[in-house]
Amino acid sequence: MTVAQPTVYYDSDQNRRPLITEFRNFWRYRGLIKLLVVRQLTVRYKRSVLGVWWTVLNPILTIAVLWVIFSNFFGRGGTLDEPYIVYLSAGILLSTYFVQGVNSTGASIINSRNILVKMYLPPEIFALVTALAAAANFILSLVPLFLLQLLTGVGIPWTVILVPLPLVTMLMFVTGIGLLIASAAVYFRDVLDITRVLTSLVNFLIPTFWTIGILEGKSALILVENNPVYSYLVSFRNLVYQGVIPERRFLIMMVVSSVVALMLGVYVFSRNWRRVVVRL
Amino acid sequence: MEVASPIEVSDVTLRYRLDRNRVGTVKEAAVRFVKRDHSYESILALDGVTFTVSPGEIFGVIGPNGAGKSTLMKIIARVLPPSSGRVIVRGSVAPMIELGAGFNPEFTARENVIIYGALLGRDPKFMRERVDVIVEWAGVADFVDIPVRTFSSGMKGRLAFSVATDIEPDILLVDEVLAVGDQAFRKKSEARMNELISGGASVVVVSHALGLVRRICARVMWIDSGRVKMIGPAQEVVDAYEASG
Repeated sequence: MTVAQPTVYYDSDQNRRPLITEFRNFWRYRGLIKLLVVRQLTVRYKRSVLGVWWTVLNPILTIAVLWVIFSNFFGRGGTLDEPYIVYLSAGILLSTYFVQGVNSTGASIINSRNILVKMYLPPEIFALVTALAAAANFILSLVPLFLLQLLTGVGIPWTVILVPLPLVTMLMFVTGIGLLIASAAVYFRDVLDITRVLTSLVNFLIPTFWTIGILEGKSALILVENNPVYSYLVSFRNLVYQGVIPERRFLIMMVVSSVVALMLGVYVFSRNWRRVVVRL
Repeated sequence: MEVASPIEVSDVTLRYRLDRNRVGTVKEAAVRFVKRDHSYESILALDGVTFTVSPGEIFGVIGPNGAGKSTLMKIIARVLPPSSGRVIVRGSVAPMIELGAGFNPEFTARENVIIYGALLGRDPKFMRERVDVIVEWAGVADFVDIPVRTFSSGMKGRLAFSVATDIEPDILLVDEVLAVGDQAFRKKSEARMNELISGGASVVVVSHALGLVRRICARVMWIDSGRVKMIGPAQEVVDAYEASG
């Protein structure tokens, strides 16, 4: 009797090629990834009347609050060519993408513990799913931003077709950093709390509600300008409403930081998984 | 041509460190680092376990609580990588270990069936086509578009079992799963299992129900504290286990 060679084969000794295996898994499991992203986006709103509309409403409300506060109570230094509300909204949306992305991706492995200890799935796909959900939220929040640009007369320049560049590089950046945090979070539960505190500082490290002009001639300027997140912010504003192509140094910083973060995150995560999974 | 064993486990050891005063936070770790307190216990959950399962065989695993039976199943299911030794599994695996782990209470039975199937490695498109058959078999066809949070635990168990056994796997890993549902469903699920087995699937059963093990298994492995005590014909091993006990 001959038996057809089974299609599924598991050998614990098989050489895992770090990075290649993971990126292949992202592709192989794309069907499942899509399902899980949709599930993650919809589950939060399953029991609410407005449903998924909250995803759009949320940034609108946040921006409204910030706008009232910063246009009435605080000076912001420097002058802008564009209406402050547009400047502020673009900044807040991007920093929210980063902050929520890093925090939720960092928690993704612990949150999927239930599944990961019971059936075999490449764990890194759960991190990618969470980062993708953050990206999807960001895309949805662009709708109110576009409306705002139209209402204020800023308009929508042709460069918006290049917005996917900061969008995708940020996705890679968030996934990479999220994976680094996720491995550590299995060992030490307070890593997630520490991350939350640190990421909440982002709005002070990059000019979201303030303008870079207030740092003119100060040494802190170096800190901001060499911060990778700043390059995403500048590029995003350039493309989404200013209608200019970002400076080359920002493009380079953006692409390099995203590739390095993703590679490092995936590599460190997969190297440590063996030790992490028994603690999950 | 000789048919290769669907499951080969050779000299598998699973060791993990259990810190004596379990470090849970960065703060504690820092404090211990300063105090130079590096004590930890090394736990051997499995120690040099070796066995093979032949094609179409029903292989039983018995032993007291905490012997490492479930850990062994997780290693075969690829959830836990062995610390040393080697595991080879040839064929598709349907792990029936704590069924329904992927269910989300807020989603409907239909959505959950599709996601659960996809988590088990099946194509979502294929799952969409199978939903009706799966809910029908589980006896929840009337509730297919209702959130699973309204289901009784029996209904959830039946649904999960129905998804897990919807395809014909080459290897079935069963961890006390037949305890799902009422008398009628238990009969139905045993029949489904027999169907899969007669279709040529190999089965590994972990159970405390020694009567069942004696009845359905050809060979049995008895493990205790992570070590193999005995492997052999069901009757012999179960008798020896009972005599020890």
